[in-house]
Amino acid sequence: MSDELDRRDFVRIAAIGAAAAATGAAQDGDGGGTGAATTPAYTPRFFTPQEYALADELTEVIIPTDAESPGAKAAHCAAYIDYRLAESEDPVPRDGWRAGLKMVDALSQKLNGATFLQATPQQRIAVVAAMAANEESPKTPEEKFFEDLKHRAVNAYYTSKIGIHQDQQYKGNVYLEEFVGWDANDGQWHMQIKKP
Amino acid sequence: MAIDQQGLPEPDLTKTYDAIVVGSGAAGGMAAHVLTSHGLQVLLLEAGRKQPIERELKSMQWPYDHPRRGEMPPDYHALGYNEYTIRQPPYATADSQYKKVTSYIQNWNGADYSKDIVVNEKEHPYTGTKYAWVRARLLGGKTAIWGRLSLRLSDYDFKAASRDGYGEDWPISYADIAPYYDKVDLYLGISGHRENLPWLPDSIFQRPVRLNRSEVLLRESLAKMGRTLTPYRAGVATDGVKHNKYRSRCFGRGACDRHVGGCDIHAAFDSPTGLIYPANDTGHLSIRTNATVREVLVDTNTGKARGVSFIDSEDMTEHEVRGRAVLLAASTLESARLMLLSKSSLYPNGIGNSSGHVGHNFCEHIMGPGVTGFVKDLVGKGHTLDDGRPAGFYVARFRNLKERNPKFIRGYGFEGDGGMKMFPTTAYSTHGFGIEYKKKVRDYAGAMIGMGGFGEMLARYENYVDLDPEVKDRWGIPVLRFHIQFGDNEHAMAADMGATAKEMFEEAGIEVVHSDHELLTPGWSIHELGTARMGNDPKKSVVNQYQQSHDVKNLFVVDGSTHVSAANQNPTWTIMALCWRSCDYLADQLRKGEL
Repeated sequence: MSDELDRRDFVRIAAIGAAAAATGAAQDGDGGGTGAATTPAYTPRFFTPQEYALADELTEVIIPTDAESPGAKAAHCAAYIDYRLAESEDPVPRDGWRAGLKMVDALSQKLNGATFLQATPQQRIAVVAAMAANEESPKTPEEKFFEDLKHRAVNAYYTSKIGIHQDQQYKGNVYLEEFVGWDANDGQWHMQIKKP
Repeated sequence: MAIDQQGLPEPDLTKTYDAIVVGSGAAGGMAAHVLTSHGLQVLLLEAGRKQPIERELKSMQWPYDHPRRGEMPPDYHALGYNEYTIRQPPYATADSQYKKVTSYIQNWNGADYSKDIVVNEKEHPYTGTKYAWVRARLLGGKTAIWGRLSLRLSDYDFKAASRDGYGEDWPISYADIAPYYDKVDLYLGISGHRENLPWLPDSIFQRPVRLNRSEVLLRESLAKMGRTLTPYRAGVATDGVKHNKYRSRCFGRGACDRHVGGCDIHAAFDSPTGLIYPANDTGHLSIRTNATVREVLVDTNTGKARGVSFIDSEDMTEHEVRGRAVLLAASTLESARLMLLSKSSLYPNGIGNSSGHVGHNFCEHIMGPGVTGFVKDLVGKGHTLDDGRPAGFYVARFRNLKERNPKFIRGYGFEGDGGMKMFPTTAYSTHGFGIEYKKKVRDYAGAMIGMGGFGEMLARYENYVDLDPEVKDRWGIPVLRFHIQFGDNEHAMAADMGATAKEMFEEAGIEVVHSDHELLTPGWSIHELGTARMGNDPKKSVVNQYQQSHDVKNLFVVDGSTHVSAANQNPTWTIMALCWRSCDYLADQLRKGEL
């Protein structure tokens, strides 16, 4: 029975992975169009379209699609970050993001001779790696921006449908007839999930 | 004028009640339950509103179905760790740029659901030394969001002074309160497993929460060290309580940690569904919400309490109401404040304060030291359902029981849990990015385990609250001024807590990734106690063993303020057991005409 479940889950994930890949391909064929094309339904409120496209790709470098689950782009992390920055009354993160995204492009120009969006996947990783070099104690403005960039990407991803259900395969938040685990009364493991 | 009581009938304020209860949390709810069960006419006064928390908590809403993933709107501000450590109170004033400023607990995930339960610090300032004061003004008080750990005290606590020579013994022993712990267990429901520890007596338990793999590993390892990790003793009716139509049994939905506590199916105890609504059904209870009590009124001929005065929290109108007995159950700090506010020619230092001890001997639990780690064998072992339950585990006290620690007296316990949660524990702390980062977060999600200590802070006369001579709250009532600091015993205990937490993990083969040794700001445990302590000597205590004022025999203080020492156990179950015992006594005395 659990085999059946695993297989079904695998099929579902594979299908989504394929869809994500297809979207990526379409975008590549877009002739360098804006990355925002991947989430056409969302119009950014804080970011400019260019900033939004950059944030979308940046978050994907931090949490990419892999064999297990789609990444930050599919989970619309940049859209959530935009929503929170748009309504924020605190100038610190808002100014931080505007300046931070500019720094990313400048850093990409320096390292790759191309903007972040023009850069190849490997070049993009090199840019983020440079920003993440000192995660323990960030010092440069780029390293400091990486802190908030990653924090918000991580927050958005693991609270998203994709993060919770596909990546983490979270099984809770359901009604249970009995608790799952080791029972101190009988000293036995009860691992079957029984719903009422 | 008519008041909005959310469906509760408006009480008659012209009649004389048998008893007036101030506050509707664990203590006030219990007083209402016990006194009405004796057939007494009771008026329950609550400063906040009756809130439909079953609608507000939305315990099963997924983060992605909430516009801010459970976080509060941008014009709400939760005080942060740094604000309490750097700044002095008041932490917010009326002219704050934010619409509402709340205590630190609203920094937790899912705070949006409880943002109307906690008070607005702008309206409720306080002054003095640093203190993280968490308050909830609504019908039910803090039981709407409490952490639910429900433990008994033992004679190791009640007679601690006799054992180690510090402080005062309680005027009761375990045998006096044990039958009342039983009553609370059976009436409200408690989950746990019997361990037969003399220093942490067992309750009459409903089915325990089950432990996950890292927790069982730790339990087995601790057993070899002679220490006990037991399934969390939760004030949760895991099997239900058949005599109560307002509550459900627990369905292990696992959202218990997400929304600053709170259970929208009321499997976890809360005062309204557990105590107040059933009391209301007896026909003997009247409830007045939005009633900010300002003073206990005194009959100058008899010296007894004749009732209370209150301000309507919303329309600011003033009212008086009469009662044959007055019970303060407004919380440790608010009950002390009320006694200090109730000054008269007969009681110039505040009612019931001839000893000068009201506000003093203020104690609580120290918090901060703890440990996080992972079990190597569980890394990358797939996804299990580990948090479909009210909570994880509790490690019972092991210090100063059979041996005497050379550095400090009294003890501490740990609360913790392990395993997979909805939001992966290591998502923020894992370094790096990309495919490797993502895999690491996935692999470690089910392998993590952590615990934090709760230790006894000694009751000392020098730690106290009094009234600020100048600052007033939104209702024009003088606010509390804090004078509280941790002492040498607390610091020595904290150092030991941090060290033993780490040792116990290492002994179990758990890789420690993080350990804390610093104490959090006083107040953090939300276990403030001791400002109107019990005792046999009227010169050194405020109330007797029945929580009856030594000075004013129809005045009772039935909340945590009466605890003689903090012990290291979470206090709610003891507050309710003591209150039950005192209300039985009160009803008997009232019947005999002794009050």
